[in-house]
Amino acid sequence: MRRRDVLLRGMGAAVLAAPAIRSARAQAGKTLVFGGSVPLTGAAAETGLNVNNGYITAASYLNDVLGGVEIAGEKYKIELKLFDDASDPARATTLIQRQLDDGTDFFLGSFGSNIVLPTAAITERAKKPMVQTGGGSDAIFTKGFKYVFGMYPRATRQFASAAALFKTLQPTPQTYSVIWTNDAFSKTAGEGVKLSCDAAGFKRLDSFELPAKPTDVSSVLGSVRANTPDLLVCVMHDQDSLLVARQMIASGTNVKLLFQGLGPQLASFREALGKYSEALLCSTYWDETVPYKDKFFGDSKKFMEYYKSKFTRPVAYHTAGAAACIETYILAMQAAKSIKAEAVRDALAVADYETFYSRIKFTPDGDGDPIIMGSMIGQVMKGKLEIVFPGEAHSADPIYPAPPWDKKA
Amino acid sequence: MNLIAQTLADGLVLGGIYALAAVGFSLIFGVLHVINLSHGILVLLGAYLALIFSQALGIDPLLTLPLVMAVLFAVGYVYQRFLIQHAVDRSPLGSMLLTFGVALMLQNIMIWVFSPDMKNITPSWAFTSFHLGAVNFDAVRVSALFASLVLLCCLALLLKFSALGRVIRATAQQTMAARLCGVNVRHVYALTFAVSAAFAGAAGIVIGIILPFSPSDEATWTLNAFVVVVLGGVGSPAGALLGGLLLGMVSTLTAQYIGPSFPNVTMFLLLVLLLLVRPTGLLGNAFSASR
Repeated sequence: MRRRDVLLRGMGAAVLAAPAIRSARAQAGKTLVFGGSVPLTGAAAETGLNVNNGYITAASYLNDVLGGVEIAGEKYKIELKLFDDASDPARATTLIQRQLDDGTDFFLGSFGSNIVLPTAAITERAKKPMVQTGGGSDAIFTKGFKYVFGMYPRATRQFASAAALFKTLQPTPQTYSVIWTNDAFSKTAGEGVKLSCDAAGFKRLDSFELPAKPTDVSSVLGSVRANTPDLLVCVMHDQDSLLVARQMIASGTNVKLLFQGLGPQLASFREALGKYSEALLCSTYWDETVPYKDKFFGDSKKFMEYYKSKFTRPVAYHTAGAAACIETYILAMQAAKSIKAEAVRDALAVADYETFYSRIKFTPDGDGDPIIMGSMIGQVMKGKLEIVFPGEAHSADPIYPAPPWDKKA
Repeated sequence: MNLIAQTLADGLVLGGIYALAAVGFSLIFGVLHVINLSHGILVLLGAYLALIFSQALGIDPLLTLPLVMAVLFAVGYVYQRFLIQHAVDRSPLGSMLLTFGVALMLQNIMIWVFSPDMKNITPSWAFTSFHLGAVNFDAVRVSALFASLVLLCCLALLLKFSALGRVIRATAQQTMAARLCGVNVRHVYALTFAVSAAFAGAAGIVIGIILPFSPSDEATWTLNAFVVVVLGGVGSPAGALLGGLLLGMVSTLTAQYIGPSFPNVTMFLLLVLLLLVRPTGLLGNAFSASR
């Protein structure tokens, strides 16, 4: 048989089979479509992949294990329509607009405030809800948006729990310096550090703004050595945190405590630093030991079991947060007894649900409640991240002051 | 005084690394007249290969240098001979667009193969440092500077004294005359690209030792190379070294005395000024692309 004949016959078979495929889907029940974009390539791809895996884990568990979800007496399957935005806000906005034009009613967020902000502006204008775990910048929650909900408190409120931990340390630290990179999230997070630490009574020695993608921080570390604080707080993305830590070790820049907003949560980060990662402090919004109960997964451990059955990639709190976005949507739809965008938005606004990730309760501006959904503080101990704050979640007491780099065993 | 000395030392180290990362870009621009927008990808490929080889063979990452350079040499030769040459034959703009497209494709292939996660090469001496007077030196960065200087010297000697170097220079200066003298210009172009790719790979090792890296970093290294070449002048290791050192010094001095967020501002300001005042770069040379 000639190659052309094979192709033609194959195409014919596909055309004949198409209606059968469509009817098979229809028989399986109704579908709930969640649209959105995630950065699977580009600068934010590392965390983007974690977020994407979280969405897939929740959708596949609800479909395959629970057989779908029931809303107002109807059974629905979850369908994800997520596209790679390549960490590019312009591409993300085009993708979201196209999905809106195609009639998508519910959106999941991308990762990175620089992408979430413009895409949220589009869904807001169309009055379609977006629940997201990737954008914490204040700009997302201070523009009067009513349809955007975030799994964290806004950036300037995220440091409150760390400042509260610092107050409990003995001997009480007196001074701090803060370093951030010039990007939408880190910049506002740096402002949050200053607000929280100043309010807690710590004396600020210095604040440094690095370029968005630094390749050398030796001059900043020179200033830190010349004017050494008790606490050094770095709010930047993982890769930049690793650069700072490595140069601090090599240049012998010691402080009593180094807090790195993003970085030490990741196993790869801790492995890269080896014994030097000991006693590094970071924020984390979820850990598999958290005690929350969940209507769908049961608890964090069962979520982890299912996640590990699907992925070999180490879990991150962004993964759990992403899965919780879908759960939150479903809980809101069940509460509203509707899948109309307006009704679901109203239910999200008054949400107060317990999930394996956290209790979910949003502020009137849409970000996570700073007390209920605020961060936990983790500290690296023997290569593992232990929760040292708040007291109800804590698995170990904080190490303070941290040993100098050359004394870390 | 100590702060100034430390800042200058940091700038020197950073500049040496910038220079090595840019020299391949400079050579390709000078000889082939191609703006290689996939240069950053070749740098990253060197870093990933060093990571793989050093883990597989259990050797220090710097010892993987010959192996990585050999692989990149072969990749560079094939890439130029069978892909870029076709675009060069048509138009210089076409070759630039081609390298841009290849960079995009290879970045995604790297994500697929190596994952988008940050990687880093951590030799056993990664965290050691030493003092000279009051100035602190990071052993990793100093060894990176040393490796950069040695490699740049080797390239300069190769171009100046070897038969291959003479042919490359001749082709760069007068392509037609070289052809009339029996030089196989296409082969020389491919060899030049291969040498440049090998040096980009070597730069990747050095960068991988001092910085965490991921596929998304490729644009940074292409852009830095472009700035270094414009500052220093096209086509010579000396130009790349001067441009790199200048860029490193400007970066650290700006970060220290103006503000850590300003190095990019001064870097591009310097670039614009030099393009206005001396468009051939500080060591403007006789290579045809700069004329």
